[in-house]
Order: sequence, then C-alpha cells, then structure tokens
Amino acid sequence: MTQGVIEGGWEYVWAAYAVTWTALVGYTLYLWRQRRLADDELRATGEDERS
Amino acid sequence: MRRVLDFGLPAMAFGLLIIGGVVGLAIAPPERDMGDVYRIIYVHVPAALGALIAYTTTLVASLVYLFKSSWAADAIAESSAEVGVVLNGMLLITGSIWGRPTWGVWWTWDPRLTTAAIMFFAFVGYLALRRFVDAPEKRATWASVVAIIVYVDIPIVWFSVRWWNSLHQLQSSPNTIPDPMMKLALRLNAFALLFFFLWFTRQRYRIARTRQRVELMEPPALAPAMGGTP
Repeated sequence: MTQGVIEGGWEYVWAAYAVTWTALVGYTLYLWRQRRLADDELRATGEDERS
Repeated sequence: MRRVLDFGLPAMAFGLLIIGGVVGLAIAPPERDMGDVYRIIYVHVPAALGALIAYTTTLVASLVYLFKSSWAADAIAESSAEVGVVLNGMLLITGSIWGRPTWGVWWTWDPRLTTAAIMFFAFVGYLALRRFVDAPEKRATWASVVAIIVYVDIPIVWFSVRWWNSLHQLQSSPNTIPDPMMKLALRLNAFALLFFFLWFTRQRYRIARTRQRVELMEPPALAPAMGGTP
C-alpha cells in the first residue's frame, strides 16, 4: 500500500469472481438435479408431469 | 412464450455475466484509491440487489398466501427465498473477500455486515422451518408469518450505513461511480443477476409446484376408503 492507495490485490478479485461464477453454475446444476427428482416423484404417483 | 423464457432467461443471464465479467475485469479502469480491488464491487453489489429483490418477492408472496391461501403464492415464496439465500451467501463471501485488502480483516462486526449476516441466517431458518413442518397448510401459514417477521431486517440492512457509524461505505450505484466503463460493468452484472434471479425462481417454482402436486395428492391406497376418487 502506498499513501492509502491499494496496489495489486488481483488474487482477491479473482477469488470473488470465482465464488460468484461457481455459486451460479453450482445452483444451476442443483436445480437441474432437483427438477429431475421432482419429476420422478410425480411419475411414481402415476400422474403426468405436464398435466 | 414458455420456450422463450426457458431459453431466453438463461441466455441473457449467462451472456450478460460473461460480458459483465470482461468489462469488469479487463476494460473498466482501476479505482483511484482502491485500485483493482474495486472490481469486486461489480459482483458484490449486484448480489446484494438480487438478494433484496428475492426477499421482497418472498414477502409479497407470503402476504398473498395469507390473504388468498394460494398454493402458487406459497411456491413463489419458497422459491424466491431459496434463491435469495444463494445470492445472500454470494454477497457475504464476496464482501468478506473485499474486506481483507481494504479493511485488513475478513470479517468485522460492523452494523452493515452484522445485519446482512442476520438476514442470511434468518432466511436459512425460514427454509429449515419449511422442511421441518409436515402438514402443508400449517407449513405454508407458519412460513408466511416467519417471512414477514424476518423481512423486518431488510430495511435495517439497507439503512444501517446511514443510521450507524459504519465502516462500510454508503450504497454503490451507477450514480455514485464516475467512470462510464465502471458504470457499465456494474449495470451489466446487475442485469445478469436479475436475469439469474428470474430464471432460478422460475425453475425452483416449477419444482415446488410439482412437489405440491405430489404432496397434496390423496394416497392411492387410501383414496377409495376415504371416499375420494381412486
């Protein structure tokens, strides 16, 4: 740090963007999995998932 | 319309996130005092806005459920709360990463940070409650009441930097940022996360509605005995 100015810090920037992208992609995959499980549960009852 | 939303929302979300990432990381200039670390703002602030929109949606849907007993409203409340917790988690983690180089600590019990953490754990509690109560009507009613109670924290989070002597800076918006490329990076990421919120909530709503159908269905073995339709 020089005279109150932050120098460097790219590792923190990459870490923050990595957390953001991982969370968004991870939740996308989680929802995709949950959707399949929910459709399977409905199919097991004999109901049509689109009705 | 359904296909447009199915493909349009994720395409817009991922497209804007990629463009916003390029502008935020490679094109926008470093900030005068905070240098390159300022680029964290472009993902941190949109996560905050997304979480606030998600929790406000939960509040409105919970009020609708209490007045109309609408299962669709209950599903929207559940869906938006879960998406809000994901965005709130991103907010807390990116904020902590921001704090280390700017304040010298990963975490401090500052009013803004503390109220944002309370917001996160309160809505995690809301989601836990939904899992612990088996009876659908009771669960929806209790969850709606809890959502209204925990939402009280959100205005406190928003105004905490004005009400108390906070280490956290005032809210960042395009109006508080001088450089046009910085504004663009913030706007692109904000719209990206808005589209993610819409898409996630829509997907999660479908799951919730499917599970409601399964749950509210009469058990086939009991249906004739109970006089229901077999």
